[in-house]
Amino acid sequence: MRKELIVATSLTVTIIVLAYVITLGSGLGPLFNGIRPLAEVYLRTTLNPSQPSFTAMSPEGVTAIVWDYRGLDTLFETAVFYLAIIGAIAIYRGVSEKVRLNGAGVGLSMIVKVVTKVLIPINIAIATSIALHGHLTPGGGFQAGAAMAVIPMILIIAFSRYLLLDLKISKEVALAFRSIGLAGIALTAFVPILIGLLSGVNAYIMQNQLKADASFSLPAYLGDALVSGSLILYNISEYLAVTFGFSMIFLLLSIEEDIVKEQMRGDGVEH
Amino acid sequence: MYDYILITIGGFLLVVGALCDLIAAIGMNRFPNFFVRLHAATVGTIGGAFYPLIGAALIAFGSEFLGNYRWFVGGASIVAAFLVLILAPAGSHALARAAHKSKTAIVHPKVVDHLEEDGGVK
Repeated sequence: MRKELIVATSLTVTIIVLAYVITLGSGLGPLFNGIRPLAEVYLRTTLNPSQPSFTAMSPEGVTAIVWDYRGLDTLFETAVFYLAIIGAIAIYRGVSEKVRLNGAGVGLSMIVKVVTKVLIPINIAIATSIALHGHLTPGGGFQAGAAMAVIPMILIIAFSRYLLLDLKISKEVALAFRSIGLAGIALTAFVPILIGLLSGVNAYIMQNQLKADASFSLPAYLGDALVSGSLILYNISEYLAVTFGFSMIFLLLSIEEDIVKEQMRGDGVEH
Repeated sequence: MYDYILITIGGFLLVVGALCDLIAAIGMNRFPNFFVRLHAATVGTIGGAFYPLIGAALIAFGSEFLGNYRWFVGGASIVAAFLVLILAPAGSHALARAAHKSKTAIVHPKVVDHLEEDGGVK
């Protein structure tokens, strides 16, 4: 009883102190006209061709901050997510998803299957638009990947996991596409350096637009369309990687418990 | 003139939606078993989400001051309404069928149970 009282009191005190510091104590800096100085810097530079060495050339401030202003931070965040996926794969090592149970895989009723089929093209269109507009509107690669990963999830629930096997979407295929996505992120990060080395210009890792001492910059416009340099490349790569990372987890989690136990004991099928 | 008609119809649909939500909430609390409570929940999703979304779309179409953005707001509302219209019945159907097949929800105050008699959809 005493322990709960201490936990409750300390939680309450922490929340009240944090709320005071953030709102009344000006812990985040003073508020001018509803905007803090730090926010004003980002708002003034995120799409501002008159300040070429500070701008990210993207009207969407969040994406600009996430992939440009603090890109390295996001890279390590992404690394944490993929380490979690690698952990899941390590737990399921030696378990083959290709083993089938007799009589399983009927799926839900015809009504649910038809609705699922109607939903899939809509879902693909929405997820792709979230990824490709990530530098213009709220969203981005991770959100698009999470929206796209809904498709294997509802296919597994409405039909069964055997449908994905019949469509040849196995653990290895998902791993390959996920690796292509991760390679795209790494390539986008190193492209400025490679081009800089080849052409003798100063350039930095994860550079997007030109900086004071590095005149290299990725194209902000493709024809008339604003593509914001590296941001669209990061978003597309992250979209691929997250989609297939989640798909792989769903494939592994949907294997029947009996099959997993049997194979983990080692008296199952050869693999 | 058209704007006024659109906004009036839209507002009427919003009121209908609010009433459906209220009826659904009362039903969820008062109905005796799982299947009729599920019926109340679908009154809440179709009546309380589909109608208001269509109403919001009509109000957006009638709002001149939004400029071109009114087509974005209204179009998004109609797409969302369509998704609710096909997904909510499919979801509640899957729930009801699963609950009936696995016999986890007992049909206690029972008048008729056609699913028990002929097996339902395959």
